[in-house]
Amino acid sequence: MSEDDGSDRRSSNRRRFLAAAGAAGMASVAGCSALLDAVNGDGGDSDGDEGPGLIGSGREGRDAPGGTPMSEMPDLSGTLTLYSGRGEPLVGELVSHIEDLYDDFTIEPRYNSSTDLVNQITEEGDTSPADVFFSVNAGSLGVLADEGLAATLPDDVATMVDGAYRDDENQWVGTSGRARTVPYNTNQFSEDDVPSDISAFPDADQFQDVMGWAPSYGSFQAFVTAMRILNGDEETKAWLEGMIDQGVEAYSDEFTVARRIADGELGAGFTNHYYIQRVVDNRDDPPIATAFTEGDAGAIFNVAGAAVVSSTDQSELAANFVRHLLSAEAQEYFATTTFEYPLIPEVEPVGELPTVDELNPPDLDLTQLSDLGPTLELMRDAGLDV
Amino acid sequence: MAAEPGTTATGESTDAGDEPRSYPVGLTFLSGAVAAGSVLPLFWLIETAFRTGVAEPVSLLFDPLTLQVLVNSVVLVTSVTVASVLISVPLAYLTVRTDLPFRRFWTVAVMLPLVIPSYIGAFAFVSVFSPNGEVQSLLAPLGVEELPGIYGLEGTVLVLTLYTYPYVYITSRASLKTLDTSLVDAARTLKHTRWEAFKRVVVPQIRPAVAAGALLTALYTLSDFGTPQIMRYSVFTRIIYTRWATSPEFAAVLSIQLLAVTVLILAVESQIRGDDTLHGSGGSAHSSGRMRLGRWKWPALAFPALVVGLALAVPIGTLLLWLVRGGATGSGVPFELEYVANSVDVSLAAALVATLAGLPVAYLSARHSTRLGDLFERITYVGYAVPGVVMGLALVFVGINVAPSLYLTLPLLIFAYVVRFLPQSVGSTRASFLQVNPALPEAARTLGRSSIGAFRAVTLPLAAPGLLGGAALVFLTTMKELPATLMLSPSGYKTLVTYIWQMQEDGYYGDAAVPALVLVAISALSIFVIISQEGYDVK
Repeated sequence: MSEDDGSDRRSSNRRRFLAAAGAAGMASVAGCSALLDAVNGDGGDSDGDEGPGLIGSGREGRDAPGGTPMSEMPDLSGTLTLYSGRGEPLVGELVSHIEDLYDDFTIEPRYNSSTDLVNQITEEGDTSPADVFFSVNAGSLGVLADEGLAATLPDDVATMVDGAYRDDENQWVGTSGRARTVPYNTNQFSEDDVPSDISAFPDADQFQDVMGWAPSYGSFQAFVTAMRILNGDEETKAWLEGMIDQGVEAYSDEFTVARRIADGELGAGFTNHYYIQRVVDNRDDPPIATAFTEGDAGAIFNVAGAAVVSSTDQSELAANFVRHLLSAEAQEYFATTTFEYPLIPEVEPVGELPTVDELNPPDLDLTQLSDLGPTLELMRDAGLDV
Repeated sequence: MAAEPGTTATGESTDAGDEPRSYPVGLTFLSGAVAAGSVLPLFWLIETAFRTGVAEPVSLLFDPLTLQVLVNSVVLVTSVTVASVLISVPLAYLTVRTDLPFRRFWTVAVMLPLVIPSYIGAFAFVSVFSPNGEVQSLLAPLGVEELPGIYGLEGTVLVLTLYTYPYVYITSRASLKTLDTSLVDAARTLKHTRWEAFKRVVVPQIRPAVAAGALLTALYTLSDFGTPQIMRYSVFTRIIYTRWATSPEFAAVLSIQLLAVTVLILAVESQIRGDDTLHGSGGSAHSSGRMRLGRWKWPALAFPALVVGLALAVPIGTLLLWLVRGGATGSGVPFELEYVANSVDVSLAAALVATLAGLPVAYLSARHSTRLGDLFERITYVGYAVPGVVMGLALVFVGINVAPSLYLTLPLLIFAYVVRFLPQSVGSTRASFLQVNPALPEAARTLGRSSIGAFRAVTLPLAAPGLLGGAALVFLTTMKELPATLMLSPSGYKTLVTYIWQMQEDGYYGDAAVPALVLVAISALSIFVIISQEGYDVK
């Protein structure tokens, strides 16, 4: 870690962030069970109507979230096909909560990687059964919009979030934010061992044969796209090849990478920030910690988001489902259960999460991350099966 | 596969009550429709591959990645097949031709790995032998910090060999049992050593059977998707599955290439097997010819024990361990009985449809032996040789381009199963029709029944056990089918297999324990159905 002026502040931020996230982990266990209770109608004294209230309240150290509660949103009815690039273990609880709120509303979710799903919709074209596409990153949403397969969202849905986190023409809207990080195993490395410059990793001898990544994972591809835009194709390809020469091991998703780091199978890796927190949340003091790079592709702040698929014949239902993802309860869920950044201003991030500015993300327009084609080509040229 | 001439002649005269030698037009039409339905989806594979012209798919064939995938697949199939033969032939010899202790037990035990779907074996092996898996944590007190990885070619070969060698074992065993030992004795009297006698007399006699088993192993290995995916070894099926959404044309080209390799394997096998089906002198096998192992008895015992231990104890032990530890590993996606019900529903539907669709094909081929009837029967076998991932992809394209209202619906999924597993139903049904004496329906005709009436009242009830056996096979293989299920299941529709796969993919192995054990139990049932159906004696 470089010893410049900023580093003290950053590492103290980092410590605060991790401490807070740890505390939030505890809170979220309570929160989860409250949500489950609400969903299942456990304990005869709660009926279904209390569900929404329970999601937002009853959490240690957190007030009821601001924003619009689901109860003030239009009712949902009918059957909605949701192509979710976000995994069921992560968002399944929220999805079934929304489904269970309404008697005659059914969600048929199809879980797969965002990249696969957006390409599936592209291949399906006008016949796509998807009504809503829920993506882990802005890139896949941008692809959908570029292909002309995203419907325009109603203004009052899109403007619920800041302009930086949605498409200029309201073709998609961010639902939660995530930062790129470098998780590492604390038994093997200290924070000082982790470079603050993403370009230093291929030459970092300490990481020979101990790193993991998930090249087929949407968020990783967004990261490579960012590197391509910031540093050019040649440098990015050289970086990828350098990492392959380092013996980096490929996994199918970043949560696995984080878990393998906590297991000790890996020493470090590249994942989004919240996977580390999920591992911390699931285990008793695992040896994993978070490091950040500065102002480069390794530190991009991306958003997960949703779009209405243009082939839908129920665009109103689809838009109202997206609206529910921006409700007070859903945003609170993202903050406390998936450890992401809420995107409506009324909901605070968990504990003392550093602000986006403090994370030192590079200067980059998220919609540029939709340019996945050349990224995949580059990754394949570098020798990756993606 | 031509029926005995006698049967055929009688069969035709049976049907020709009013009009001698009338051609079974309706039946041929039905049978042809089923055959066409089973190969038609492949057309859209070709259509997709060439939709941007010919230049691109041809250049894709020579793409370094394509060549790498081809080489990887060939290396994998060759390694698994050779390893399976090397394991199976000695095992068969030990259990048939020697005085191995507990021979009956080992005979059954070494067949049982067929019960474990290979992808369940694969993820059990990964969790046990991965660099920081169960074995490493056992060895950790001894200072073992990391094991060499199991991922890649070695792991894929190990797992696939362990779960496919029984195909070779079963066929080798059958042929060793009927081996004419008098020839061996003759060779021995001609002062050949034991090894020379084996090489010159036994090998030629069992070669067709070994080749037949090796064919099954090779085809299974080539079409398996789950194991290479889990072991992260890039073969055709894996790349087709992971790339179809990103680049459908490429996936289609690879699929066609995979089909070509399948056809090549079939051709090679028919060369090895040759035209002459060597039969022993049937039943004359001398049990007195059994070799005495003597002091090699105990070392010889270690061999089947090792194979069975690896193939059975590792996965079942792992699943039970997870279960004892409390199962769930926190995926937050609870396993529900509904997933079992869904599996059973689609499998029952597939079994029913396959039986009905197989009826005209089997009947026409068994009873009329027309050239078209035989052709249609052969065509229905194409679906069986088409790997699940290829059939899945073809039907994705059909769904998107031809029948969007069927895309990602149960009917199309069930159609995929039927096309894949129809031969199991046709084969079993056809065999049972052949066993019905044609004189019986003929008698019913003379008593005034119509030909359909005679079929319903006499032939069908007599053939019913065969139909049922075929349906059971379709049911049980459908329960286990992986890639087509993943590609074609309706959104939100979960089965045992899709749930296990999702948990495996997300790394929540513990959550997969219960459904995996259920699936293994169901698969075990399938083996006993196969064994009992073939009247397999375990002596």
